[in-house]
Amino acid sequence: MSEKYTRREVLGHAARGLALSGLGGVTGLLWLKAHATNAWAIDAGKCINSQLGAVGVEPCQRCATDCVLSLSAIRAVNEFSRCGRCYVCPAYFKITSAVGVDGLPSEKVCPRDAIQRQPIGWIDPDDPANNFYEYTIDEALCNGCGLCVMECKEPAGLGSVRLEVRHDVCLDCNRCSIAAVCPEDAYDKAPG
Amino acid sequence: MTLAAPVPLEYRRATPWAGRGNGPGQFRSALRGIAVGAAGIVFAAGDSIVKVFDSAGVLVREWPTERSGFCVASDDRERVWVGELSQVEVFAMDGERLEVRKDPPRLGRVTAVGFAGEDAFFADATARCIHRYDGAGVFLNAIGDKHRKGGFHIPNGVVDFAIDEEDVIHVANPGMHRVERYSVDGGQLGRFGHFDGRDPAGFSGCCNPTNVTVDARGRVIVTEKAGPRAKVYGPDGVLITVVARDVFDPGAKNMDVVVDRTGRIYVVDTVSLEIQVFEPLLRDEAA
Amino acid sequence: MRARGTFLGFSILILAEIPVVAQQVDYSRPVDVAPSQESIGDDYVTPDVQRPLPRAVFWQVADVILLAVALGVAAWLALWRRQRGWLVALTVACVAYFGFYRQGCVCPIGSTQNIAVALVDPSYGVPYYVIAIFVLPLVAALFFGRVFCAGVCPLGAIQELVLLKAIVVPRKLDTALGGFKWVYLGVALYYAVQPAVDRAFLICRLDPFVGLFRFTGPAWLLMVGGSFLVAGIFVGRPYCRWLCPYGALLSAFSRYAWRSLSITPNRELECGLCEHACPYGAIEERRALRSDCFACGRCYTSCPVQRSSGMAAS
Repeated sequence: MSEKYTRREVLGHAARGLALSGLGGVTGLLWLKAHATNAWAIDAGKCINSQLGAVGVEPCQRCATDCVLSLSAIRAVNEFSRCGRCYVCPAYFKITSAVGVDGLPSEKVCPRDAIQRQPIGWIDPDDPANNFYEYTIDEALCNGCGLCVMECKEPAGLGSVRLEVRHDVCLDCNRCSIAAVCPEDAYDKAPG
Repeated sequence: MTLAAPVPLEYRRATPWAGRGNGPGQFRSALRGIAVGAAGIVFAAGDSIVKVFDSAGVLVREWPTERSGFCVASDDRERVWVGELSQVEVFAMDGERLEVRKDPPRLGRVTAVGFAGEDAFFADATARCIHRYDGAGVFLNAIGDKHRKGGFHIPNGVVDFAIDEEDVIHVANPGMHRVERYSVDGGQLGRFGHFDGRDPAGFSGCCNPTNVTVDARGRVIVTEKAGPRAKVYGPDGVLITVVARDVFDPGAKNMDVVVDRTGRIYVVDTVSLEIQVFEPLLRDEAA
Repeated sequence: MRARGTFLGFSILILAEIPVVAQQVDYSRPVDVAPSQESIGDDYVTPDVQRPLPRAVFWQVADVILLAVALGVAAWLALWRRQRGWLVALTVACVAYFGFYRQGCVCPIGSTQNIAVALVDPSYGVPYYVIAIFVLPLVAALFFGRVFCAGVCPLGAIQELVLLKAIVVPRKLDTALGGFKWVYLGVALYYAVQPAVDRAFLICRLDPFVGLFRFTGPAWLLMVGGSFLVAGIFVGRPYCRWLCPYGALLSAFSRYAWRSLSITPNRELECGLCEHACPYGAIEERRALRSDCFACGRCYTSCPVQRSSGMAAS
């Protein structure tokens, strides 16, 4: 190795050192706030499917159709503490379908049959209408179409079902393709 | 209950009363309860106020209530009872506050008030049943809590009932899509109604009918939500007619209903804050 | 199955929105209308609303580790082992994993915008793995040249794999077009650092290849991607040379690389076969231009010194 460093080598070392410290500085600055990352979230007050007062409108299904993933990262969730636990749930049953022999509507709202219905608490053996029923959404089947959300909205239901972004699946795109087409601008990237 | 053959009824919608606003006779943010008194006087409770209308819809008097009223009723002694959260306020006809009935911890949100003889009945939406008190305010018994699930199914948060001339209590049980009948002691006397999303004779949606009243001849008038409408059933539970369908705000629910001696029906639209008035077109002779 | 997640914060935010009604109509319902646990009876407990599983950190960590490994392998193969065959294998593997499996997202090219926003907007943070994905190829460039472009970047790799016979682009044109990457970088950063309402992530939106990896996307963008690939059969890596904004950064950083690709193992001839072989115009006077060389290795497979010195053929 030559004793004398060429000017070029020195410049090279200096430039590398500068670049490395620059990168190190950027890394350090950003490391400190790396925990405060943003995630896409749906504002249920703006989403047309759950927006109070928007009655008799067509349900918007863009959350199911516009995600870049093949199975959308949006799911419907039921806020159990606000659910009426009704015998005839308008988000589970298609209320306007013909009534079957058991006195219940014959068709269901969910096109993928993702809602499960089961009686809870003390079960009346004589009268099934005298029970409370819990409605759970199967996250493996739900694709976030929002039909149940629209059906549960007041006044028909109690508005306990809403759409949420699933962060274990969502890619956190810089530009959410659903957010770009949402007619109510209900998507926001908020800390979370 | 014996009756003449059912007379087909049609209703004509008169100009609605009240409405949303700051004018006399209008309500600012809520209108929930309605009742009729002697000589066709109508009481309406909402905001934190009781407004009294004459039979032409003109505001006669109004007075404030301590809490926002959920319902109102008028008894034989011309007192006006207003059901509120955990209490019932009793006023004289001129608005003078006579007493306040409380019964902690039993009495919760009072959403309907009725009378049979000296007894007062308060529908309690927190306990999901009807409490009966005597003239002195002593608790006698509850009605509807012997239901094996502990009360009426009221996802809408309102218990509504009406007492007919023979002291039979007609209660709306919306979660079970029926109107039930009880004696004043709490014994079950019968029921009618079933779920049907298509047939107008049935009750649609998750929880209908929401409110109920009874006229002098035992006909039951109910209101429903989610496809809001008012219907008249005969005492045997057979649908007589649909009073009105499209005149209510589509978002209205828990619309209180009352009928006066002439058969005129008043329905409270809880969204537009109007009192819808329906006159019967064919009156039968036996009043 | 209800797993407890970590999104209490924004769930509370959404819960708080539901009873608030912006319009003048009061549709609010009385409180406590849902049946209580006691009414339901039989020791029933109201379950909590379903929450998602926590984000799988596994894939983020895997991506970073595999990126580092791929960079190291690419550097070793290009600079020391000097075997094009293995480099092509690495290219195929990275297209398969970073491209079609991970679908090209998160990538260092787009991360440039996020880093810029994070530096400018105090409330905006990027996750740890995004910092790593941005920094690692630049560090590799400082030491070994553009080894990220060599076989790791899926966008570059897919273009590399379709190349058949490159036409020679005149040097002046090449330089002029090459300046366009800096323009693109500037425009992308400009839109990225806007306040949140005006912010646009142009690099992600106009990425021509991510649609091909996902098999879905706007029709016009898929056609642009397709035409890049078709063009890439005859022109060497048009996106990488003239459009890639991260490539602009890499070309600047690799200028000061500690070690970079050398064409002959020990001595030079004057044959110039390497310049013929290079499809990217990255060889000038029989030396590789550090800022332009993608370390593809075609030069030393065509070099007679390399072949005769017994180093393994391609």
